[in-house]
Amino acid sequence: MSDAIAVEGLTKSYGSTRGVIDLTFSVGPGEVFGYLGPNGAGKTTTIRTLLDFIRPTRGTATVLGRDSRRDSVEIHRRTGYLPGEGSLYERLTGGEYLRYLAELRGGVDWRVAAGLAERLDCDLSVKIRGLSHGNRQKVALIQAFMHRPELLVLDEPTQGLDPLVQQEFHAMVEEVRREGRTVFLSSHVMPEVERLCDRIAIIREGRLVAVEEVGDLRERQVRMLEIRFAEPPRPDLFDGSPGVSDVAVNGDTIRIRVAGSIDGVVKAAARFEVVDLMSHEPSLEDIFLTYYGKEGDRGA
Amino acid sequence: MAHEATIPRGAMLRTVFSKTLRDQRKALAWWAAGFAGAILLYSSFWPSVRDNAEQFNEYLRKLPDFLKNLLGQIDYTTPEGYLQSELFVFLAPTLLIVYGIGAGARAVAGEEEAGSLDLLLSVPIRRRRVLVDKFAAMLGAIFLLTTVMWISVVAFGPLFDLRVGLGGFTAMSLNTFLLGMVFGSLALAVGTATGRRSVAIGVASGLAVATFIVNTLGPSVDWLDPFRLLSPFYYYADGNPILNGLDPVHALVLAGVSVAAFVYALWAFERRELTA
Repeated sequence: MSDAIAVEGLTKSYGSTRGVIDLTFSVGPGEVFGYLGPNGAGKTTTIRTLLDFIRPTRGTATVLGRDSRRDSVEIHRRTGYLPGEGSLYERLTGGEYLRYLAELRGGVDWRVAAGLAERLDCDLSVKIRGLSHGNRQKVALIQAFMHRPELLVLDEPTQGLDPLVQQEFHAMVEEVRREGRTVFLSSHVMPEVERLCDRIAIIREGRLVAVEEVGDLRERQVRMLEIRFAEPPRPDLFDGSPGVSDVAVNGDTIRIRVAGSIDGVVKAAARFEVVDLMSHEPSLEDIFLTYYGKEGDRGA
Repeated sequence: MAHEATIPRGAMLRTVFSKTLRDQRKALAWWAAGFAGAILLYSSFWPSVRDNAEQFNEYLRKLPDFLKNLLGQIDYTTPEGYLQSELFVFLAPTLLIVYGIGAGARAVAGEEEAGSLDLLLSVPIRRRRVLVDKFAAMLGAIFLLTTVMWISVVAFGPLFDLRVGLGGFTAMSLNTFLLGMVFGSLALAVGTATGRRSVAIGVASGLAVATFIVNTLGPSVDWLDPFRLLSPFYYYADGNPILNGLDPVHALVLAGVSVAAFVYALWAFERRELTA
Protein backbone atom coordinates (compact mmCIF):
# COMPACT_ATOMS: atom_id res chain seq x y z
CA MET A 1 0.00 0.00 0.00
CA SER A 2 1.36 3.42 -0.92
CA ASP A 3 1.82 6.32 1.44
CA ALA A 4 -1.22 8.23 2.57
CA ILE A 5 0.69 11.44 2.12
CA ALA A 6 4.02 11.95 0.38
CA VAL A 7 5.50 15.41 0.15
CA GLU A 8 8.65 15.99 -1.87
CA GLY A 9 10.68 19.14 -1.94
CA LEU A 10 7.53 21.11 -1.27
CA THR A 11 8.17 24.83 -1.30
CA LYS A 12 5.64 27.60 -1.08
CA SER A 13 6.97 31.14 -1.23
CA TYR A 14 4.91 34.19 -0.52
CA GLY A 15 7.71 36.59 -1.29
CA SER A 16 8.01 37.47 2.39
CA THR A 17 9.33 35.12 5.04
CA ARG A 18 6.13 33.13 5.42
CA GLY A 19 5.64 29.90 3.55
CA VAL A 20 7.36 26.54 3.62
CA ILE A 21 10.75 25.55 2.28
CA ASP A 22 11.77 22.25 0.74
CA LEU A 23 9.60 19.94 2.84
CA THR A 24 10.02 16.22 2.35
CA PHE A 25 8.19 13.67 4.46
CA SER A 26 5.67 10.89 4.14
CA VAL A 27 2.81 9.53 6.19
CA GLY A 28 2.12 5.83 6.03
CA PRO A 29 -1.36 4.35 5.72
CA GLY A 30 -3.01 3.87 9.08
CA GLU A 31 -0.62 6.22 10.79
CA VAL A 32 -1.59 9.02 13.15
CA PHE A 33 0.88 11.69 12.22
CA GLY A 34 1.45 14.87 14.19
CA TYR A 35 2.57 18.08 12.57
CA LEU A 36 3.99 20.18 15.32
CA GLY A 37 5.15 23.76 15.21
CA PRO A 38 4.54 27.20 16.64
CA ASN A 39 1.91 29.44 15.10
CA GLY A 40 3.12 30.85 11.81
CA ALA A 41 5.58 28.01 11.19
CA GLY A 42 3.86 26.90 8.00
CA LYS A 43 1.53 24.16 9.22
CA THR A 44 -1.58 25.62 7.62
CA THR A 45 0.31 26.42 4.43
CA THR A 46 1.34 22.77 4.14
CA ILE A 47 -2.17 21.51 4.81
CA ARG A 48 -3.83 23.88 2.36
CA THR A 49 -1.35 22.78 -0.31
CA LEU A 50 -2.27 19.14 0.27
CA LEU A 51 -5.90 20.06 -0.44
CA ASP A 52 -5.08 22.23 -3.46
CA PHE A 53 -6.38 25.50 -2.02
CA ILE A 54 -2.91 26.89 -2.70
CA ARG A 55 -0.35 25.59 -5.15
CA PRO A 56 3.28 24.69 -4.52
CA THR A 57 5.95 27.03 -5.83
CA ARG A 58 8.17 23.95 -6.21
CA GLY A 59 7.90 20.29 -5.33
CA THR A 60 4.96 17.94 -5.24
CA ALA A 61 2.44 16.56 -2.82
CA THR A 62 0.83 13.18 -3.30
CA VAL A 63 -2.24 12.38 -1.24
CA LEU A 64 -3.69 8.86 -1.18
CA GLY A 65 -1.51 8.08 -4.15
CA ARG A 66 -2.92 10.97 -6.19
CA ASP A 67 -1.37 14.19 -7.31
CA SER A 68 -2.60 17.07 -5.16
CA ARG A 69 -3.10 19.35 -8.14
CA ARG A 70 -4.43 17.06 -10.84
CA ASP A 71 -6.63 14.79 -8.73
CA SER A 72 -7.90 17.18 -6.10
CA VAL A 73 -11.52 16.15 -6.55
CA GLU A 74 -10.76 12.49 -5.83
CA ILE A 75 -8.54 13.48 -2.91
CA HIS A 76 -11.36 15.60 -1.50
CA ARG A 77 -13.78 12.70 -1.85
CA ARG A 78 -11.58 10.45 0.23
CA THR A 79 -10.42 13.04 2.74
CA GLY A 80 -12.01 14.75 5.71
CA TYR A 81 -10.71 18.25 6.35
CA LEU A 82 -10.88 20.46 9.39
CA PRO A 83 -9.66 23.99 8.71
CA GLY A 84 -7.60 25.78 11.32
CA GLU A 85 -9.40 29.03 10.77
CA GLY A 86 -12.39 30.09 8.82
CA SER A 87 -16.05 29.95 9.49
CA LEU A 88 -19.20 28.00 8.86
CA TYR A 89 -22.38 29.48 7.42
CA GLU A 90 -23.77 31.65 10.19
CA ARG A 91 -27.35 31.48 8.98
CA LEU A 92 -27.61 27.70 8.87
CA THR A 93 -28.12 25.46 11.86
CA GLY A 94 -25.37 22.97 12.59
CA GLY A 95 -27.57 20.24 11.17
CA GLU A 96 -28.35 22.18 8.00
CA TYR A 97 -24.68 22.88 7.51
CA LEU A 98 -23.81 19.19 7.81
CA ARG A 99 -26.70 18.32 5.53
CA TYR A 100 -25.41 20.76 2.90
CA LEU A 101 -21.88 19.37 2.93
CA ALA A 102 -23.28 15.83 2.96
CA GLU A 103 -25.40 16.60 -0.12
CA LEU A 104 -22.40 18.08 -1.90
CA ARG A 105 -20.47 14.93 -1.04
CA GLY A 106 -23.20 12.89 -2.69
CA GLY A 107 -24.77 11.75 0.56
CA VAL A 108 -23.40 10.33 3.80
CA ASP A 109 -24.82 7.92 6.34
CA TRP A 110 -26.68 10.35 8.55
CA ARG A 111 -26.48 7.98 11.51
CA VAL A 112 -22.73 8.57 11.57
CA ALA A 113 -23.20 12.33 11.69
CA ALA A 114 -25.92 12.07 14.34
CA GLY A 115 -23.77 9.66 16.34
CA LEU A 116 -20.83 12.05 16.29
CA ALA A 117 -23.08 14.90 17.37
CA GLU A 118 -24.27 12.78 20.25
CA ARG A 119 -20.73 11.91 21.32
CA LEU A 120 -19.52 15.48 21.18
CA ASP A 121 -22.72 16.74 22.79
CA CYS A 122 -23.35 19.08 19.90
CA ASP A 123 -26.84 20.49 19.45
CA LEU A 124 -27.42 20.53 15.69
CA SER A 125 -30.68 22.45 15.86
CA VAL A 126 -29.04 25.76 16.82
CA LYS A 127 -28.08 28.34 14.23
CA ILE A 128 -24.30 28.53 13.87
CA ARG A 129 -24.52 32.27 14.53
CA GLY A 130 -25.57 31.39 18.09
CA LEU A 131 -22.82 28.85 18.77
CA SER A 132 -19.72 29.38 20.89
CA HIS A 133 -16.30 28.85 19.36
CA GLY A 134 -16.07 25.41 20.91
CA ASN A 135 -19.44 24.36 19.55
CA ARG A 136 -18.58 25.59 16.07
CA GLN A 137 -15.43 23.51 16.29
CA LYS A 138 -17.60 20.49 17.10
CA VAL A 139 -19.70 21.01 13.96
CA ALA A 140 -16.51 21.38 11.93
CA LEU A 141 -15.14 18.15 13.44
CA ILE A 142 -18.33 16.27 12.63
CA GLN A 143 -18.20 17.29 8.97
CA ALA A 144 -14.61 16.08 8.78
CA PHE A 145 -15.45 12.66 10.25
CA MET A 146 -19.00 12.06 9.01
CA HIS A 147 -18.22 10.49 5.66
CA ARG A 148 -15.74 8.10 7.26
CA PRO A 149 -12.85 9.23 5.06
CA GLU A 150 -9.68 7.22 4.50
CA LEU A 151 -7.62 10.24 5.47
CA LEU A 152 -8.33 12.96 8.00
CA VAL A 153 -6.45 16.23 7.66
CA LEU A 154 -7.04 18.22 10.82
CA ASP A 155 -5.59 21.68 11.38
CA GLU A 156 -5.40 22.39 15.11
CA PRO A 157 -8.37 20.13 15.88
CA THR A 158 -8.67 20.72 19.61
CA GLN A 159 -8.59 24.50 19.53
CA GLY A 160 -11.36 25.81 21.70
CA LEU A 161 -12.61 22.40 22.82
CA ASP A 162 -13.13 21.90 26.52
CA PRO A 163 -11.20 19.02 28.13
CA LEU A 164 -14.09 16.54 28.14
CA VAL A 165 -14.73 17.07 24.45
CA GLN A 166 -11.01 16.82 23.80
CA GLN A 167 -11.07 13.38 25.37
CA GLU A 168 -13.94 12.35 23.14
CA PHE A 169 -12.00 13.65 20.17
CA HIS A 170 -9.00 11.60 21.23
CA ALA A 171 -11.24 8.55 21.33
CA MET A 172 -12.48 9.33 17.83
CA VAL A 173 -8.91 9.49 16.56
CA GLU A 174 -8.17 6.24 18.34
CA GLU A 175 -11.05 4.57 16.53
CA VAL A 176 -9.87 5.87 13.21
CA ARG A 177 -6.45 4.42 13.94
CA ARG A 178 -7.93 1.04 14.86
CA GLU A 179 -9.82 0.97 11.59
CA GLY A 180 -6.57 1.47 9.70
CA ARG A 181 -7.45 4.94 8.47
CA THR A 182 -4.92 7.73 8.48
CA VAL A 183 -4.84 10.96 10.47
CA PHE A 184 -2.66 13.98 9.77
CA LEU A 185 -3.08 16.56 12.50
CA SER A 186 -1.34 19.79 13.23
CA SER A 187 -0.85 21.28 16.64
CA HIS A 188 1.26 23.78 18.48
CA VAL A 189 1.16 21.90 21.77
CA MET A 190 3.42 18.95 22.43
CA PRO A 191 1.37 16.92 24.94
CA GLU A 192 -1.51 16.55 22.52
CA VAL A 193 0.50 15.15 19.64
CA GLU A 194 2.57 13.10 22.02
CA ARG A 195 -0.56 11.46 23.28
CA LEU A 196 -2.27 10.86 19.95
CA CYS A 197 0.42 10.33 17.37
CA ASP A 198 2.70 7.57 16.23
CA ARG A 199 5.12 9.91 14.56
CA ILE A 200 5.69 13.62 14.70
CA ALA A 201 7.15 16.08 12.25
CA ILE A 202 8.41 19.29 13.74
CA ILE A 203 8.29 22.38 11.60
CA ARG A 204 9.77 25.72 12.39
CA GLU A 205 9.94 28.86 10.29
CA GLY A 206 8.84 26.92 7.23
CA ARG A 207 11.49 24.21 7.52
CA LEU A 208 11.17 20.63 8.68
CA VAL A 209 13.28 20.29 11.81
CA ALA A 210 12.75 16.62 12.50
CA VAL A 211 10.51 13.64 11.88
CA GLU A 212 10.53 11.27 14.84
CA GLU A 213 8.75 8.35 16.38
CA VAL A 214 6.98 9.62 19.47
CA GLY A 215 8.89 7.11 21.61
CA ASP A 216 12.27 8.37 20.37
CA LEU A 217 11.25 11.94 20.88
CA ARG A 218 10.24 11.21 24.45
CA GLU A 219 13.64 9.71 25.14
CA ARG A 220 15.33 12.85 24.00
CA GLN A 221 12.81 15.17 25.45
CA VAL A 222 13.94 18.02 27.62
CA ARG A 223 12.04 18.81 30.80
CA MET A 224 12.26 21.58 33.32
CA LEU A 225 12.10 20.16 36.82
CA GLU A 226 11.58 22.19 39.97
CA ILE A 227 12.24 20.39 43.22
CA ARG A 228 11.70 21.87 46.66
CA PHE A 229 13.52 20.28 49.57
CA ALA A 230 12.98 20.50 53.32
CA GLU A 231 16.44 22.02 53.57
CA PRO A 232 18.45 24.05 51.04
CA PRO A 233 20.06 21.54 48.66
CA ARG A 234 23.68 21.42 47.61
CA PRO A 235 24.20 22.88 44.12
CA ASP A 236 26.26 19.83 43.10
CA LEU A 237 23.44 17.46 44.07
CA PHE A 238 22.82 16.29 40.50
CA ASP A 239 26.37 16.42 39.23
CA GLY A 240 26.46 12.70 38.59
CA SER A 241 22.99 12.39 37.07
CA PRO A 242 22.77 12.00 33.27
CA GLY A 243 21.22 14.70 31.08
CA VAL A 244 21.18 17.44 33.72
CA SER A 245 22.02 21.04 32.85
CA ASP A 246 21.17 24.61 33.81
CA VAL A 247 21.13 24.01 37.55
CA ALA A 248 19.81 26.93 39.55
CA VAL A 249 19.41 26.94 43.30
CA ASN A 250 17.15 29.40 45.00
CA GLY A 251 16.83 28.89 48.73
CA ASP A 252 15.30 25.48 49.28
CA THR A 253 14.32 25.05 45.63
CA ILE A 254 16.41 23.75 42.76
CA ARG A 255 15.56 24.14 39.11
CA ILE A 256 17.19 21.95 36.51
CA ARG A 257 16.87 21.03 32.88
CA VAL A 258 16.84 17.30 32.21
CA ALA A 259 17.23 15.70 28.80
CA GLY A 260 15.82 12.20 28.36
CA SER A 261 14.96 10.02 31.34
CA ILE A 262 14.50 11.73 34.68
CA ASP A 263 15.18 8.50 36.55
CA GLY A 264 18.69 9.50 37.68
CA VAL A 265 17.49 12.84 38.94
CA VAL A 266 14.60 11.38 40.91
CA LYS A 267 16.90 8.83 42.56
CA ALA A 268 19.48 11.47 43.44
CA ALA A 269 16.83 13.73 44.92
CA ALA A 270 15.27 10.89 46.90
CA ARG A 271 18.29 10.81 49.21
CA PHE A 272 16.93 14.00 50.76
CA GLU A 273 13.53 15.06 51.98
CA VAL A 274 11.55 16.25 48.97
CA VAL A 275 8.68 18.66 49.71
CA ASP A 276 7.49 19.25 46.19
CA LEU A 277 8.36 18.20 42.66
CA MET A 278 7.03 19.92 39.57
CA SER A 279 7.67 18.96 35.98
CA HIS A 280 6.87 21.69 33.50
CA GLU A 281 5.40 20.74 30.18
CA PRO A 282 8.16 21.25 27.72
CA SER A 283 7.56 24.28 25.57
CA LEU A 284 8.16 24.05 21.87
CA GLU A 285 11.33 26.02 22.43
CA ASP A 286 12.53 23.30 24.78
CA ILE A 287 11.78 20.72 22.12
CA PHE A 288 13.65 22.69 19.50
CA LEU A 289 16.57 22.86 21.89
CA THR A 290 16.64 19.11 21.77
CA TYR A 291 17.51 19.44 18.12
CA TYR A 292 19.49 22.60 17.98
CA GLY A 293 21.39 22.17 21.21
CA LYS A 294 22.25 25.17 23.29
CA GLU A 295 23.76 27.04 20.42
CA GLY A 296 20.52 26.73 18.44
CA ASP A 297 19.02 30.08 17.68
CA ARG A 298 16.09 30.81 19.89
CA GLY A 299 15.18 33.95 18.06
CA ALA A 300 12.05 34.74 16.10
CA MET B 1 -27.96 14.45 26.51
CA ALA B 2 -29.99 13.21 23.56
CA HIS B 3 -30.24 15.36 20.51
CA GLU B 4 -32.38 15.42 17.44
CA ALA B 5 -30.99 12.64 15.28
CA THR B 6 -33.29 13.10 12.32
CA ILE B 7 -31.95 14.47 9.07
CA PRO B 8 -32.59 18.20 8.87
CA ARG B 9 -34.92 19.19 6.06
CA GLY B 10 -33.00 20.69 3.23
CA ALA B 11 -34.50 20.63 -0.23
CA MET B 12 -32.68 23.92 -0.79
CA LEU B 13 -29.39 22.50 0.51
CA ARG B 14 -28.81 20.01 -2.27
CA THR B 15 -26.65 22.14 -4.52
CA VAL B 16 -24.49 25.24 -4.34
CA PHE B 17 -27.03 26.84 -6.70
CA SER B 18 -30.07 26.31 -4.50
CA LYS B 19 -28.19 27.04 -1.28
CA THR B 20 -26.98 30.36 -2.73
CA LEU B 21 -30.55 31.33 -3.61
CA ARG B 22 -31.73 30.11 -0.21
CA ASP B 23 -29.27 32.53 1.41
CA GLN B 24 -30.86 35.37 -0.53
CA ARG B 25 -34.48 34.44 -0.05
CA LYS B 26 -35.29 37.09 2.55
CA ALA B 27 -33.38 39.82 0.75
CA LEU B 28 -35.02 38.84 -2.52
CA ALA B 29 -38.47 38.98 -0.97
CA TRP B 30 -37.86 42.51 0.35
CA TRP B 31 -36.38 43.72 -2.92
CA ALA B 32 -39.28 42.28 -4.86
CA ALA B 33 -41.81 43.87 -2.52
CA GLY B 34 -40.10 47.25 -2.74
CA PHE B 35 -39.84 47.04 -6.50
CA ALA B 36 -43.50 46.11 -6.90
CA GLY B 37 -44.51 48.85 -4.47
CA ALA B 38 -42.58 51.49 -6.42
CA ILE B 39 -44.22 50.38 -9.66
CA LEU B 40 -47.64 50.55 -8.03
CA LEU B 41 -46.84 54.07 -6.89
CA TYR B 42 -45.62 55.23 -10.31
CA SER B 43 -48.64 53.65 -11.99
CA SER B 44 -50.95 55.58 -9.69
CA PHE B 45 -49.35 58.88 -10.81
CA TRP B 46 -50.03 58.15 -14.47
CA PRO B 47 -53.58 59.56 -14.75
CA SER B 48 -52.53 63.00 -13.49
CA VAL B 49 -49.48 63.04 -15.77
CA ARG B 50 -51.65 62.20 -18.77
CA ASP B 51 -54.24 64.82 -17.84
CA ASN B 52 -51.59 67.52 -17.57
CA ALA B 53 -49.75 66.51 -20.72
CA GLU B 54 -49.41 70.07 -22.00
CA GLN B 55 -47.61 71.32 -18.93
CA PHE B 56 -45.30 68.31 -18.81
CA ASN B 57 -44.31 68.67 -22.44
CA GLU B 58 -43.69 72.38 -21.91
CA TYR B 59 -41.46 71.50 -18.95
CA LEU B 60 -39.61 68.86 -20.93
CA ARG B 61 -38.82 71.22 -23.78
CA LYS B 62 -36.88 73.39 -21.35
CA LEU B 63 -34.68 70.53 -20.11
CA PRO B 64 -31.01 70.52 -21.07
CA ASP B 65 -30.02 68.21 -23.91
CA PHE B 66 -28.38 65.56 -21.81
CA LEU B 67 -31.52 65.12 -19.74
CA LYS B 68 -33.52 64.76 -22.92
CA ASN B 69 -31.07 62.11 -24.05
CA LEU B 70 -31.46 60.47 -20.72
CA LEU B 71 -35.21 60.29 -21.09
CA GLY B 72 -34.88 58.76 -24.51
CA GLN B 73 -36.63 61.44 -26.59
CA ILE B 74 -39.98 59.78 -26.18
CA ASP B 75 -43.18 61.67 -25.62
CA TYR B 76 -43.52 61.68 -21.85
CA THR B 77 -47.26 61.78 -22.10
CA THR B 78 -47.62 58.43 -23.87
CA PRO B 79 -47.79 55.32 -21.66
CA GLU B 80 -44.52 54.05 -23.21
CA GLY B 81 -42.78 57.37 -22.71
CA TYR B 82 -43.95 57.58 -19.12
CA LEU B 83 -42.82 54.05 -18.31
CA GLN B 84 -39.50 54.58 -20.06
CA SER B 85 -38.68 57.73 -18.10
CA GLU B 86 -40.00 56.61 -14.72
CA LEU B 87 -38.93 52.97 -14.75
CA PHE B 88 -36.25 52.27 -17.31
CA VAL B 89 -34.10 55.38 -17.14
CA PHE B 90 -33.14 54.97 -13.55
CA LEU B 91 -35.16 52.85 -11.14
CA ALA B 92 -35.11 49.42 -12.80
CA PRO B 93 -31.50 49.44 -14.03
CA THR B 94 -30.28 50.78 -10.69
CA LEU B 95 -32.10 48.12 -8.70
CA LEU B 96 -30.98 45.25 -10.89
CA ILE B 97 -27.41 46.50 -11.19
CA VAL B 98 -27.07 47.04 -7.45
CA TYR B 99 -28.54 43.64 -6.70
CA GLY B 100 -26.38 42.02 -9.37
CA ILE B 101 -23.19 43.62 -8.10
CA GLY B 102 -24.00 42.53 -4.55
CA ALA B 103 -24.68 38.95 -5.59
CA GLY B 104 -21.67 38.83 -7.90
CA ALA B 105 -19.30 40.20 -5.28
CA ARG B 106 -20.57 37.78 -2.65
CA ALA B 107 -20.33 34.73 -4.89
CA VAL B 108 -16.67 33.91 -4.31
CA ALA B 109 -15.09 36.96 -2.66
CA GLY B 110 -17.81 37.07 -0.01
CA GLU B 111 -17.29 33.43 0.92
CA GLU B 112 -13.56 33.84 0.83
CA GLU B 113 -13.60 36.85 3.14
CA ALA B 114 -16.03 35.16 5.50
CA GLY B 115 -13.69 32.15 5.61
CA SER B 116 -16.28 29.64 4.47
CA LEU B 117 -14.76 28.91 1.06
CA ASP B 118 -12.16 26.38 2.28
CA LEU B 119 -14.76 23.97 3.57
CA LEU B 120 -17.03 24.48 0.57
CA LEU B 121 -14.16 23.56 -1.74
CA SER B 122 -13.05 20.64 0.44
CA VAL B 123 -15.95 18.59 -0.96
CA PRO B 124 -15.40 16.60 -4.15
CA ILE B 125 -16.68 19.27 -6.54
CA ARG B 126 -14.63 21.13 -9.10
CA ARG B 127 -14.09 24.79 -8.52
CA ARG B 128 -15.65 25.61 -11.86
CA ARG B 129 -18.79 23.73 -10.89
CA VAL B 130 -19.10 25.84 -7.76
CA LEU B 131 -18.71 28.97 -9.87
CA VAL B 132 -21.26 27.83 -12.45
CA ASP B 133 -23.74 27.32 -9.62
CA LYS B 134 -22.98 30.72 -8.11
CA PHE B 135 -23.36 32.40 -11.48
CA ALA B 136 -26.61 30.58 -12.14
CA ALA B 137 -27.94 31.65 -8.76
CA MET B 138 -27.12 35.29 -9.52
CA LEU B 139 -28.82 34.95 -12.88
CA GLY B 140 -31.84 33.38 -11.21
CA ALA B 141 -32.14 36.18 -8.65
CA ILE B 142 -31.84 38.96 -11.26
CA PHE B 143 -34.30 37.15 -13.49
CA LEU B 144 -36.73 36.82 -10.61
CA LEU B 145 -36.60 40.55 -9.87
CA THR B 146 -37.07 41.31 -13.57
CA THR B 147 -40.08 39.02 -13.65
CA VAL B 148 -41.54 40.75 -10.58
CA MET B 149 -41.11 44.07 -12.40
CA TRP B 150 -42.77 42.75 -15.53
CA ILE B 151 -45.70 41.28 -13.67
CA SER B 152 -46.12 44.42 -11.55
CA VAL B 153 -46.40 46.65 -14.61
CA VAL B 154 -48.77 44.27 -16.35
CA ALA B 155 -50.88 43.83 -13.21
CA PHE B 156 -50.86 47.34 -11.68
CA GLY B 157 -50.69 49.47 -14.86
CA PRO B 158 -54.23 48.78 -16.11
CA LEU B 159 -55.64 49.70 -12.68
CA PHE B 160 -54.61 53.26 -13.57
CA ASP B 161 -55.16 52.96 -17.29
CA LEU B 162 -51.41 52.64 -17.92
CA ARG B 163 -51.30 50.20 -20.84
CA VAL B 164 -48.12 49.62 -22.81
CA GLY B 165 -47.35 47.47 -25.84
CA LEU B 166 -46.18 44.15 -24.42
CA GLY B 167 -43.55 43.55 -27.11
CA GLY B 168 -41.59 46.74 -26.49
CA PHE B 169 -42.05 46.52 -22.73
CA THR B 170 -40.82 42.94 -22.67
CA ALA B 171 -37.83 43.88 -24.84
CA MET B 172 -36.92 46.66 -22.41
CA SER B 173 -37.38 44.27 -19.47
CA LEU B 174 -35.03 41.80 -21.11
CA ASN B 175 -32.45 44.53 -21.66
CA THR B 176 -32.71 45.54 -18.01
CA PHE B 177 -32.13 41.95 -16.98
CA LEU B 178 -29.09 41.78 -19.26
CA LEU B 179 -27.76 45.07 -17.90
CA GLY B 180 -28.01 43.71 -14.36
CA MET B 181 -26.18 40.59 -15.53
CA VAL B 182 -23.40 42.64 -17.15
CA PHE B 183 -22.47 44.42 -13.94
CA GLY B 184 -23.22 41.41 -11.74
CA SER B 185 -20.87 39.31 -13.87
CA LEU B 186 -18.19 41.98 -13.74
CA ALA B 187 -18.42 42.03 -9.94
CA LEU B 188 -18.32 38.24 -9.86
CA ALA B 189 -15.26 38.21 -12.13
CA VAL B 190 -13.34 40.82 -10.14
CA GLY B 191 -14.32 39.18 -6.85
CA THR B 192 -13.25 35.77 -8.09
CA ALA B 193 -9.95 37.05 -9.42
CA THR B 194 -9.06 39.09 -6.33
CA GLY B 195 -10.93 37.41 -3.51
CA ARG B 196 -11.93 40.85 -2.27
CA ARG B 197 -15.54 41.90 -2.08
CA SER B 198 -14.87 45.61 -1.69
CA VAL B 199 -12.70 45.64 -4.82
CA ALA B 200 -15.40 43.77 -6.74
CA ILE B 201 -18.11 46.19 -5.64
CA GLY B 202 -15.90 49.23 -6.22
CA VAL B 203 -14.79 48.27 -9.71
CA ALA B 204 -18.22 47.15 -10.90
CA SER B 205 -20.15 50.11 -9.53
CA GLY B 206 -17.45 52.52 -10.67
CA LEU B 207 -17.78 51.12 -14.18
CA ALA B 208 -21.54 51.38 -13.97
CA VAL B 209 -21.44 55.06 -13.03
CA ALA B 210 -18.73 55.91 -15.57
CA THR B 211 -20.40 54.14 -18.50
CA PHE B 212 -23.75 55.64 -17.54
CA ILE B 213 -22.26 59.13 -17.67
CA VAL B 214 -20.49 58.45 -20.96
CA ASN B 215 -23.71 57.25 -22.55
CA THR B 216 -25.77 60.12 -21.17
CA LEU B 217 -23.37 62.94 -22.01
CA GLY B 218 -22.12 61.38 -25.24
CA PRO B 219 -24.70 62.96 -27.56
CA SER B 220 -23.94 66.44 -26.19
CA VAL B 221 -20.15 66.18 -25.99
CA ASP B 222 -18.53 65.56 -29.35
CA TRP B 223 -15.35 63.87 -28.26
CA LEU B 224 -17.24 61.59 -25.88
CA ASP B 225 -19.72 60.43 -28.47
CA PRO B 226 -17.66 57.58 -30.01
CA PHE B 227 -17.10 56.11 -26.55
CA ARG B 228 -20.81 55.52 -26.15
CA LEU B 229 -20.25 52.28 -28.01
CA LEU B 230 -18.25 51.08 -25.00
CA SER B 231 -21.10 51.75 -22.62
CA PRO B 232 -23.51 48.92 -21.73
CA PHE B 233 -26.16 51.60 -21.26
CA TYR B 234 -25.95 52.41 -24.95
CA TYR B 235 -26.89 48.85 -25.87
CA TYR B 236 -29.50 48.89 -23.16
CA ALA B 237 -31.59 51.82 -24.33
CA ASP B 238 -30.41 53.01 -27.72
CA GLY B 239 -33.04 52.85 -30.43
CA ASN B 240 -35.93 53.00 -27.95
CA PRO B 241 -36.72 49.30 -27.65
CA ILE B 242 -39.90 50.15 -25.74
CA LEU B 243 -41.31 51.56 -28.98
CA ASN B 244 -39.35 49.68 -31.60
CA GLY B 245 -38.89 46.29 -29.99
CA LEU B 246 -35.77 44.33 -29.24
CA ASP B 247 -32.54 45.04 -31.09
CA PRO B 248 -31.07 41.52 -31.13
CA VAL B 249 -27.54 42.77 -31.78
CA HIS B 250 -27.66 45.07 -28.78
CA ALA B 251 -29.04 42.31 -26.57
CA LEU B 252 -26.33 39.95 -27.79
CA VAL B 253 -23.62 42.50 -26.97
CA LEU B 254 -24.91 42.73 -23.40
CA ALA B 255 -25.18 38.97 -23.07
CA GLY B 256 -21.73 38.58 -24.60
CA VAL B 257 -20.09 40.92 -22.07
CA SER B 258 -21.72 39.00 -19.23
CA VAL B 259 -20.62 35.64 -20.61
CA ALA B 260 -17.09 36.91 -21.29
CA ALA B 261 -16.77 38.15 -17.71
CA PHE B 262 -18.01 34.79 -16.45
CA VAL B 263 -15.60 32.82 -18.63
CA TYR B 264 -12.76 34.98 -17.35
CA ALA B 265 -13.91 34.25 -13.79
CA LEU B 266 -13.85 30.49 -14.50
CA TRP B 267 -10.33 30.77 -15.81
CA ALA B 268 -9.18 32.93 -12.91
CA PHE B 269 -10.80 30.75 -10.23
CA GLU B 270 -8.97 27.61 -11.35
CA ARG B 271 -5.67 29.41 -10.99
CA ARG B 272 -6.41 31.25 -7.77
CA GLU B 273 -4.55 30.81 -4.55
CA LEU B 274 -7.33 30.98 -2.01
CA THR B 275 -6.87 33.05 1.10
CA ALA B 276 -7.37 31.11 4.29
